[in-house]
Amino acid sequence: MVKTKTKIEEEIQAIFNSDKPWVTIVWDDPVNLMTYVTYVFMELFGYSKERATELMLKVHNDGKAVVSTGSREEMEHDVARLHEFGLWATLQRGDQAL
Amino acid sequence: MNEESGFTRHGNNAFVAQFSESEREVLINLAGQIIELLSERSDHADEDPLAAMVGITTHDSPPDDEVLLRLLPNAYADGVDAAEFRRYTESVLRNKKKAHAMSMRVLLKSAQDGAIELDHDNANAWLGAINDIRLALGVRLNVQERSHDELELLAPDDPLRGVYAVYSWLGWLQESLLQALMDDSPNEVN
Repeated sequence: MVKTKTKIEEEIQAIFNSDKPWVTIVWDDPVNLMTYVTYVFMELFGYSKERATELMLKVHNDGKAVVSTGSREEMEHDVARLHEFGLWATLQRGDQAL
Repeated sequence: MNEESGFTRHGNNAFVAQFSESEREVLINLAGQIIELLSERSDHADEDPLAAMVGITTHDSPPDDEVLLRLLPNAYADGVDAAEFRRYTESVLRNKKKAHAMSMRVLLKSAQDGAIELDHDNANAWLGAINDIRLALGVRLNVQERSHDELELLAPDDPLRGVYAVYSWLGWLQESLLQALMDDSPNEVN
């Protein structure tokens, strides 16, 4: 099959982009205290109290929030640490619908 | 325990609490249950010992037990990706959670007078352990479906009433430790 130039460019682009961006999503949970979720974001990601509080409120109000972005490997690492502290987290490609 | 304080901050890196004998026993007992729960997955036998040594498990399906599933959740919505991730990470996650609970249990066991002092690292382990216990109790209480008011109004003879009391107390205890950790105001107590 002959590939058009555009197609090839797209594929090259895809290869360069294949390692990012992925996203880590934290889902709302009725058990975890709001203060705890804020604290975990500060501890694990080094976010300021303001940024961490903002993300916690987004999780609480919208049911979920993207808390970090990066390569797939980085996001797997983030999800593993969030699981260690009992937050309900998943990762996915950044271009997938949340 | 001192009803008004829970954990308080002493100086820069000490978080102290005084537990009564019954509180101490409850915490030791609950930490022990979490350790036991995380120790072996009874739904999977015959692990490959060599793979187990390097943290790879031969199973990749989510746990059957609802509590375990909440403690060891899927990392991907997609089942194939979730299984692959679980195969390489679940035993590590179990060990980390066990280490949190063990850290709490060991300190409580050695503090026969109920006086506990944590540094920052211990405090993080305690937060994780208390949270895992609350997650486990939360599944039993079905907090996903039940409202706070419903749980408050459980009948006196309902066995879940005691579970809810412990669940609430742990939330209060965790909150006090969080406040002590996040208190960045200058501290006069040393």
